[in-house]
Amino acid sequence: MLAVAKLNHYYGKAHVLRDVSLDVGTESVGVFGPNGAGKTTLVHAIVGLVRPRSGDVTFDGRSLLRLPTHEVIRSGVALVPQERELFPYMSVRANLESGAAYIPGARKDLPAALQASFEMFPILKVRARQLAGTLSGGEQRMLAIARAMMSSPKLLILDEPSLGLQPSLVTELFHKVRNLGERSAILMAEQNVRQSLKAVGRGYVIENGQIALEGPSDELLRNDHVRRAYLGL
Amino acid sequence: MTLFRTLRRWQLLLLLASLGVPIVLMLWKPYVLIEGLQRGGLYAVIALPMALILGVVGIINLAHGEFMMLGAYFAYWMGVYAGLDPLVAMIPAVVAFALLGAITYVLTIRRALKAPELNQLLLTFGMAMVGTEFANLMWTSQPLKPHLSYVYSSVALGKLRFGTYAFIYTAAAIVLLVLLQLFLRKTRLGRAALAVGQNPRGARLVGIDVNRTYLLIFSVSIALVGALGAMFLTRHSVFPSAGSPFTMKSFCLIAMAGIGNLPGVVWGGFGLGIAEALVSSFRGYGGWADVVFFAVLVAVIMGKSYRRQTA
Repeated sequence: MLAVAKLNHYYGKAHVLRDVSLDVGTESVGVFGPNGAGKTTLVHAIVGLVRPRSGDVTFDGRSLLRLPTHEVIRSGVALVPQERELFPYMSVRANLESGAAYIPGARKDLPAALQASFEMFPILKVRARQLAGTLSGGEQRMLAIARAMMSSPKLLILDEPSLGLQPSLVTELFHKVRNLGERSAILMAEQNVRQSLKAVGRGYVIENGQIALEGPSDELLRNDHVRRAYLGL
Repeated sequence: MTLFRTLRRWQLLLLLASLGVPIVLMLWKPYVLIEGLQRGGLYAVIALPMALILGVVGIINLAHGEFMMLGAYFAYWMGVYAGLDPLVAMIPAVVAFALLGAITYVLTIRRALKAPELNQLLLTFGMAMVGTEFANLMWTSQPLKPHLSYVYSSVALGKLRFGTYAFIYTAAAIVLLVLLQLFLRKTRLGRAALAVGQNPRGARLVGIDVNRTYLLIFSVSIALVGALGAMFLTRHSVFPSAGSPFTMKSFCLIAMAGIGNLPGVVWGGFGLGIAEALVSSFRGYGGWADVVFFAVLVAVIMGKSYRRQTA
């Protein structure tokens, strides 16, 4: 469904993505790597928030590279950004509605999608009338995920969903991500390799802007480099 | 808890004052109240389109008053050549100024949006000067005004006799406020505008065409202020620098109300209009009206920041 081919990007002289290629089918895929490896730049390049120097990104056979971000989103890709990017002075409900209101295909299913969000994250129903800016960090993260799912995307991209969450919430979060995989394909950038590997079927390890390793999750779990560098074993 | 209570008492006092002052004025100097509501309505209605772009989507436009001045000239020449009454000329003015706003946005504002805000200030300040000088070269600095008999309509209430026409500005301010609030709450473009104002990147990520939203909102704002220029012309004469005080006053009203607070702009406009009218009512002190305008502004902003510190 999503194919990234030989992507290169620079910030000034720093070469932050080096010939990165990856594929996402209908399964859940993880991109793992330390801080500064290029995970966020990669997902930003996919949705058009940064323009890579060379390479290509195709989604359902159509190139995304020349499209502005809102058109990428309308074509069925949703991003849950690291910084969440909510509308702080709108209610939780209005934030959720905004996830579907501007996607022509999702608009008519808005009430059903809203119901589904409240079932997935019951706390959002409790907070529905509260302003998004007054939520705790964990609740904001859930709201950001629910808002992205409002558009019923074919591909959901999550950028460091576990960042800043307490450990018990992280486990719960990855559990939910696993369930989301039944509705959309998932591409998840994560540092928390140990827990997120359980939520995805396949993974890529990215280091210094390069794909260092790839394979099914259980294979990565057994890999010596992964065990030493990411699992501390 | 005590803090909460004092705050409430403070607010109650404010409410009483805002109700009490007009009542006292009505008995003591009724003309001040009438004049203040009319003048304040004009300030408020002109400030509202600026509040839409500054407070909602976050574009600073220091050429706001100049667009109003051009709107007034537009209506004047529509009257001379096409025989249109300024109030009728508001309709072609909306169309013409929506177009002018769109062109201005595409050619200039769009390019300054990503730059620091200072660039927007300089750019639109430059546009204001271009507008003023353009009017000066085209139509000289001679004030122009069509003769309209209906603006002198008046009524008598007991011993009180006053002009009723200028209440059109008061009414226009309230109508425009209601329309803008409905637009922002109920329409998709209005909600998209709120989203863009709160988080442009978040807006992109939910599929909003941010650039198109800026374009449409800016055009709507210019179309409104152009049409209001025509309404301005019914009571006032137009000359090249007629618009610049309104840029200043609109900007101040928005600062006073707080960014994004549209009803506050209207109440602030009435408040300042009444304060100005009160000062002008003392013979020989009319020149102090502007001083009072800005003194009230400074007091309100200081009061707000004081409250924020204690809260």
